[in-house]
Amino acid sequence: MKKYFGCVLILTLALFVLVPSVALCQGSIKVGIILPATGEKAKFGEIEKKSFEMALEEINAAGGINGKKLEFLYEDDTGRPDVARSAAEKLLTKDEVVMLGGGYGSSETFAIAGVAQQNRVPFLVNTGSDNKITEMKWDYVFRLNQPVSAYPEALESFMTDVVKPQSVAILYENTNFGSSGSKEFQQSCEKLKLKVVMNEGYQSGGVDFKPLLVQVKQRNPDVVYMISYLMDASLLMKQSMELKLSPKIFVGGGAGFTLPEFVQNADKAANMVYSATLWYQTLPYPGAKEYYDKFVARNNMPTEYHGAEAYSSAYVIADALKRAKSSAPDDVRESLTKTDMMTVFGPVKFVAYDKMTNQNKLPTYLVQWIDGKLELVWPKETAAKPYVYPIDWQKVWK
Amino acid sequence: MEMFIQTLVAGILIGGVYALIGLGMTLIMGVMRIINLAHGQLMMVAMYITFVFYEFLGLDPYYCLLIAPPALFLLGAAIQKYLLDPLLKIDSIIPQNQILMTVGIGMVLTETIRFIFHSDYKSVKTSYSSATFMIGSISWNVPMLVAFGLAVLITAGLFFFLLKTDTGKSVRATAQNKDAAMILGINAEWITQLTYGLGAAMAAAGGTLLLPIYYLFPDVGGPFTLKAFIITVLGGMGSTVGAIFGGLVLGVAESLGATYISMALKDAVGMVIFVLVLVFLPGGLKALTKV
Repeated sequence: MKKYFGCVLILTLALFVLVPSVALCQGSIKVGIILPATGEKAKFGEIEKKSFEMALEEINAAGGINGKKLEFLYEDDTGRPDVARSAAEKLLTKDEVVMLGGGYGSSETFAIAGVAQQNRVPFLVNTGSDNKITEMKWDYVFRLNQPVSAYPEALESFMTDVVKPQSVAILYENTNFGSSGSKEFQQSCEKLKLKVVMNEGYQSGGVDFKPLLVQVKQRNPDVVYMISYLMDASLLMKQSMELKLSPKIFVGGGAGFTLPEFVQNADKAANMVYSATLWYQTLPYPGAKEYYDKFVARNNMPTEYHGAEAYSSAYVIADALKRAKSSAPDDVRESLTKTDMMTVFGPVKFVAYDKMTNQNKLPTYLVQWIDGKLELVWPKETAAKPYVYPIDWQKVWK
Repeated sequence: MEMFIQTLVAGILIGGVYALIGLGMTLIMGVMRIINLAHGQLMMVAMYITFVFYEFLGLDPYYCLLIAPPALFLLGAAIQKYLLDPLLKIDSIIPQNQILMTVGIGMVLTETIRFIFHSDYKSVKTSYSSATFMIGSISWNVPMLVAFGLAVLITAGLFFFLLKTDTGKSVRATAQNKDAAMILGINAEWITQLTYGLGAAMAAAGGTLLLPIYYLFPDVGGPFTLKAFIITVLGGMGSTVGAIFGGLVLGVAESLGATYISMALKDAVGMVIFVLVLVFLPGGLKALTKV
């Protein structure tokens, strides 16, 4: 017994040192933010993290959460669902965050949402768009951004009013984002009486999309709709240009197609390509243009809808925490349900519609790459620049 | 029919580059009897070297074929001498220790590059990056054609080295029977260093040729290590001719699989071939010939 006495004494003393130091950190409120910092989706994670950081500075400068400092603990999900799950579990059990935020890739977001619901801690999704995430009747999961089924809304009115196509080909990356997006778009096309000549998934990270694109060329659709993350989008457009595909329009489903890196990598193959988007800096939401300008000045790179989602999400989190009765998860959840505020991304209010719950309802828009810049072209009322249609691909790609 | 030819063409062209990467791994496997699991990562380092020369000196990637492979040759030889050889001298040696070491080396290379360059995607834009010409209705991608041609040249160079030069014959002798080679006066230690360097240089050449077609990020090596491994097994471990055919077979199979089965299962085709070869033809293609 005597020889263990020393050991026990040291351990007890260590405990007495640790506990007060933990208590000293009680001054701040911790929220876990899970984003892809490395891996395929790292570029998106970077834009979102920078936006979160910018918002956090502003929130804390304005007094934080009722005087207490707000702290974001960032975890890297590397773009893989299993890592996202571990990251969520670590934040909840080890760091004991009061809620979770972030969620970029749909597959990863779905995994995190499952963990959050299981542990009964609120999770505010700001980018993962698979409809399934808010269709599970998980009352601890909230979503700020539009679901993937809403992405092509502006495209649909554009097609009906301007392009009037007969046939559509859909190409999608085969994780949750692409799979659910393609299914939803197919249904919309069928409702609009458009013939879907092709609906093919692919594994992202491929070198050669020619096997797929050769089939597209053979079937000669009027519209080619592609759902991809960044590099696949660039390669798809470059190789479509090489094969001299000539549909009436190429449209991307957001994600890779709106990043500045898309036009940097695809060069002239990106020109005149349309994309769905969830936000644009000229929209009449207070603070939208200021957010864009401040981000560009601070980081020396442009931002787009992903950044706006993250920035607004930080404010929604802060607002909910301020109104919450305490920092217990159930009180935070209660406070989130009562959210009713305006952000740079648009108004935020969580409602139930279609099959979804705790979902924010917002319109989507259509942008077009014109001479290396992303312009908002549709709907007409909010357009910043006129759209370019019809398109002579031979001229564009010379 | 046109779709079939287009697919075949794409498969053969990319197969040439795959073969180059596979050749490197099979060389290393033949002489050292280990699977170099850092192979893709060595290729990745070469791609970053090529990128740096392109970005800061404006040097066309193809000229970098004179820079990156020699650089990786030196790196490979150094890795063999300072990291892998010492493991041989430790008593309880099973070759598996060296394989684990290559895994570690691969991870270190990836993370070091990530630290320097971040996870951003980088790509090289040359005037011919998206150049194609049409023969009939078949589109031929110029960079891929050039890559294939250069891959053939480099492979021919390698064969000349292995068959006609003394050093090359020493490499083959060491691969066949290390102890006998040592008895005959061949400095086996130096030959293994040379071989690892040579294998790394081949991977580097493959990477440099691939850069104008694909894009670059720190994790790009992983899938190519896997492809090299499949090619090595398919061709017969240690067989250089087998690796060439293995590379072409894999390229064509992937391409045909992508077009006729499903693009989503493209990588699965390689895996299925791998399993089939292990089950039905364990010696690889080499077992079908006497080479």
